[in-house]
Amino acid sequence: MLELNNQYTMMKRQVHTQVLKQFFNDTLSEDVDKIPIQLIPKQRTPTRCCIYKERAMVRYRIMAFLGVDIEKDDDEFKTLSSYVDEVLEEDKPISPLLTTISTACSSCPPDRYLVSDACRGCFARPCLANCPKDCISFSNGKAHIDESRCVRCGKCMEVCPFHAVVHIPVPCEQACPVDAIKKNEEGYVEIDWEKCISCGKCAMSCPFGAIVERSTIMGVAKMIKEEQHITAIIAPAIEGQFPGNLAQIKQALLATGFNAVIEVSEGASETCDHEAQEVTQRKQEGLGFMTTSCCPAYMKLVDKHVPYLAGRRSSALSPMAYTASLAKERYPQTKVVFIGPCLAKKEEAAHLGTIEGVLTFSELASLFVAKGVDVREMSDSDLGDTMLFEDCRQFALSGGVAACVSKRLTVGDEIAVHKVDGIDKKMVRVMKSWERRPIEADLVEVMCCEGGCINGPGVVAKPSVAIRLRGGNKAASPVASMRSIPGAKE
Amino acid sequence: MIRKTKVSVKICVGTACFVQGGADLLLYQDFLDPVVLANCDIEGVSCIGGCKDDTLKTRPPYIQIDDKIYGEMTQDKMCALLSEVVHA
Ligand code: SF4
Ligand code: FES
Repeated sequence: MLELNNQYTMMKRQVHTQVLKQFFNDTLSEDVDKIPIQLIPKQRTPTRCCIYKERAMVRYRIMAFLGVDIEKDDDEFKTLSSYVDEVLEEDKPISPLLTTISTACSSCPPDRYLVSDACRGCFARPCLANCPKDCISFSNGKAHIDESRCVRCGKCMEVCPFHAVVHIPVPCEQACPVDAIKKNEEGYVEIDWEKCISCGKCAMSCPFGAIVERSTIMGVAKMIKEEQHITAIIAPAIEGQFPGNLAQIKQALLATGFNAVIEVSEGASETCDHEAQEVTQRKQEGLGFMTTSCCPAYMKLVDKHVPYLAGRRSSALSPMAYTASLAKERYPQTKVVFIGPCLAKKEEAAHLGTIEGVLTFSELASLFVAKGVDVREMSDSDLGDTMLFEDCRQFALSGGVAACVSKRLTVGDEIAVHKVDGIDKKMVRVMKSWERRPIEADLVEVMCCEGGCINGPGVVAKPSVAIRLRGGNKAASPVASMRSIPGAKE
Repeated sequence: MIRKTKVSVKICVGTACFVQGGADLLLYQDFLDPVVLANCDIEGVSCIGGCKDDTLKTRPPYIQIDDKIYGEMTQDKMCALLSEVVHA
């Protein structure tokens, strides 16, 4: 996975902020076509081949941010302004969540093993001896790999004493846990939607930014502008994503135009109660392990790739679903907007029917900046009585869900917990193997993102930063807190 | 030669800076050289105005070293800048 903060993410955030600024100033339709030129001025030293290509890329980023499905609706004759008019008229459908920009895709060659200059053509030649397909030959005193016969087992890389063999992966293909990424005839990326579980790992790993999420923010921005009653339901991972504590983040949301804020941890508590009961019962009946059901990418993984697990998943609804119903109970006329680190939640939300919008933290960040809302300057809002669900803020971290469920067991009951911390290709194989050899645990906590939701595709602060900013008032004065407990986890 | 007074370093944690990569600078204890660290007074502060100043030809994130504001800050740039100032 790419380092979160890189040139591409920064450019993306600038684009998003600019679009939103213009939207709230009522100039989006007139001025949107100027954004590529403003952000990529003539004097810039381009990172891609030339500034014109960079401008074209900004244009595509804007389209994705507007929610346009670039694969289907890319019309080079159309101005951005006419796309804006369309979007302001009517929201685009949620699926597919991602869209690919073939112009950005560098059509990376298939993954391969390459002998680098470091090869010294040694006498022992362990590569030659260990290659199962005999594809290594020597010429000019150096090893060569015969591409056509290589099966990409990596043995030669393992045994080379000089580390002279390198593996050159295709980042998106390597990141996708379910092999949903293909290359079309021209060599450009294509996603197989039948297989895709919406985890977002490919988008996070492409160094060219060729796979992008289709944002659903314009729908929310419109609600804000029309001053509709909106309830923001905020995922537990939000703490640590902005420079302020939870109470300040809540206040910032109110200042941005949301009318009420509910923590999803509140619904998470309900999920836990349900799961605690269910797991105890299953244990008594000797039914074997049960998995959690709050991670939407995992839910899709089961539906599409590991069907036997369907009977193993908890029947509890996700924290988001419970919280949305809570919101509708409290404010019957309200529009519910889920704010989280997750892309897959967008599809879950679309199916639920109780949620009118989904934002990622990254989109919320652009919204804050566009609206000039500074989280750190906010006074603390009243979070209400959080006693009953406070512990569920841990849902955002790997291990947190299992811990909360365990806490809710009847006194004296105990369960064995297994954590699936991040799903990759290998993990999928392991999970499949449980069909024949069930894992010995009562509760299997599954999180598709390594480390938990704080490492989701929509985060602003990377986990190492977020973890230090989480918890109570620490986030208000992040630096001091870090000094007092260097490297502290909590 | 190491200077007598500590260098004052302010990392902007206004939202604009924080979301444009400023968050990473808060890990300064992990990436700065211990000697530099010992000679600097580092704190996170609210918006230091860089993001609203059009005359600066840079973008967030900003930090302030003594009285001077620097934009487009990265961990590497911060290391280099500070060791220069500390060892000046
Ligand atoms: S499953 Fe994940 S990595 Fe694979 S294509 Fe879908 S979003 Fe990308
Ligand atoms: S937010 Fe950092 S200078 Fe304004």
